[in-house]
Amino acid sequence: MSVPSLANFIVKRPWLRSWMVPLSKWYKDAAGYRKLGLRSDDLIPEENEIVQLAIKRLDAKEAYDRVYRMRRAFQCSLQHQLLPKPEWTTEEGDYQYLSPIIEEIEKERSEREDLESMVIKKPQIGSKTHHGTMK
Amino acid sequence: MLSRAAIGRQAQRAAARSWQHQRRGLAEPASGSFQYQVGEAQGIKLASRDLPGPVATLAIVSSAGTRYQPVPGLAEGLERYAFKTTSRRSTLRIQRESELLGSALQTYHSRENVVIGAKFFQNDLPYFVELLAEVATMTDYKPHVLNEEVIPQMDLRHKKYLSNPQEMAINSAYGIAFHRGLGVPTEAPSNLAWKKYLDAENLADYASAAYAKQNFAIVANGVSQSELSKWVGEMFTDVPSQTSYQLKPEQTKYYGGEERIAHGSGNSLVIALPGSSSPTGGFYKPEVAVLAALLGGQSSIKWSPGFSLLSKATQDTPNMFIDTKSTIYSDAGLLTIAMTGSASDIQKSAPKVVEALKSVAQGIDKEAFAKAKALAKFKELEYGQETQAAMELTGAGLVHGGKAYQIDEVAKSVDGVTEEKVKQAAKEALEGKASVSAVGDLYMLPYAEEIGLKV
Repeated sequence: MSVPSLANFIVKRPWLRSWMVPLSKWYKDAAGYRKLGLRSDDLIPEENEIVQLAIKRLDAKEAYDRVYRMRRAFQCSLQHQLLPKPEWTTEEGDYQYLSPIIEEIEKERSEREDLESMVIKKPQIGSKTHHGTMK
Repeated sequence: MLSRAAIGRQAQRAAARSWQHQRRGLAEPASGSFQYQVGEAQGIKLASRDLPGPVATLAIVSSAGTRYQPVPGLAEGLERYAFKTTSRRSTLRIQRESELLGSALQTYHSRENVVIGAKFFQNDLPYFVELLAEVATMTDYKPHVLNEEVIPQMDLRHKKYLSNPQEMAINSAYGIAFHRGLGVPTEAPSNLAWKKYLDAENLADYASAAYAKQNFAIVANGVSQSELSKWVGEMFTDVPSQTSYQLKPEQTKYYGGEERIAHGSGNSLVIALPGSSSPTGGFYKPEVAVLAALLGGQSSIKWSPGFSLLSKATQDTPNMFIDTKSTIYSDAGLLTIAMTGSASDIQKSAPKVVEALKSVAQGIDKEAFAKAKALAKFKELEYGQETQAAMELTGAGLVHGGKAYQIDEVAKSVDGVTEEKVKQAAKEALEGKASVSAVGDLYMLPYAEEIGLKV
């Protein structure tokens, strides 16, 4: 599931951005998952409906690669080893392949909730249309 | 399907589709104008009929039916994807909004057309013109919607199709008669269609070709021409006139032959003969409609088997369903005699049916002919008066030849049919190859040769 993020706040302020970007790069490297060949989106907990659905919506190649990365990382973890350096996830390779889908699903769900709690206004006298409005 | 000589089929459809329940109320005049007014807005062809009444019907008729699809499953996919996610609104929002306005959204496809339409209160016209414009130009064809919402429906439809021997037999008869093009079954005969061919990308390509300016028409009932062209002009602004490929048909050719398919539940035998194109097409033969009415099979009145030759010929097998239909398409048509029932009934009746057909080629009883002509005209007018059928025919006519389907003219052409012409039509049909399809218990069901047909 997507988590609250300060990213937008930071991106809008160039001075803050110039501070934070190197910091985030350092943090992601230090987190160590790249050395196991994983991507940041692989770390999203998948034990819930939304993420399960998002995983189903991945195209065949992405889904295969995801499983491959996880098995490889699991193997490394068992052996108490890191991958050889050329196989580490690069910064470009660490893109968000799952989060956009998760966000889309969350948007769909919240839209459904909004529509479910919609209040319908009666048509005004004299007006031709009678649309409902969202709260 | 563009059938017009089938009360039975019509009734089934009327039950399935709520928008056919449109009937004249008491307060309305008994004779409105049934002529479609034809116009154009933004280069899109329009036709409208300003019928009195509170409910209006609007539809996009795109000539993108199964006949035109480059790979199987596209026409059905396009139909089932209509009113789903567009770049402006989600599927859910479209549903909720149209529910709030009190409307019915309808989609279906035939061999030639995909029809996307809505029935609504006349006041809401702008909303629904906008909605149809969105469906045509802004639908997002996404793989997951296809996988999660469209394909499961197609799977279920496919199962229903497999359990219906008559539908299988009719589709098989079309395949024999026309091979590709018109012969392509309206429902994919195997799920290979969406396992192998249908994906979001080629569906999007197909949609862009289907909703290109020259390929669809907008038809409305209960809407004035000026209103319609005003709103279409405003909403349909992004319709492309050039697309990556065009859906151009080849002139249909009749082949003929025989196909036999084993089926565990139910039996059906379909005999198909070359028929007439639609009045807006080039091969219109009104005598085929009269021939279909003369052969008949189902009675349009109560408590009587009717005057038709086939209902008389099959009086010994009252439990067998038999019906004759003249189905018309833009450039060809098919006269189909469908028999469904127990295998032994079909085995007994099929030779009699062919005999009845041959007797028409010899000579026709005067009274039966007069009745057939009256019935053919009645069915034609009744069919044209029904909103839905007239809309599809009108839209298809506009796309193909710029002519709307005017029922008055059609009725006049039925008046002009003579006995001689019907006899000639029957003779020609029998001289050529028939298309015979048997589905069911193949041990019992007869071969075409056995019942006296050339294949």
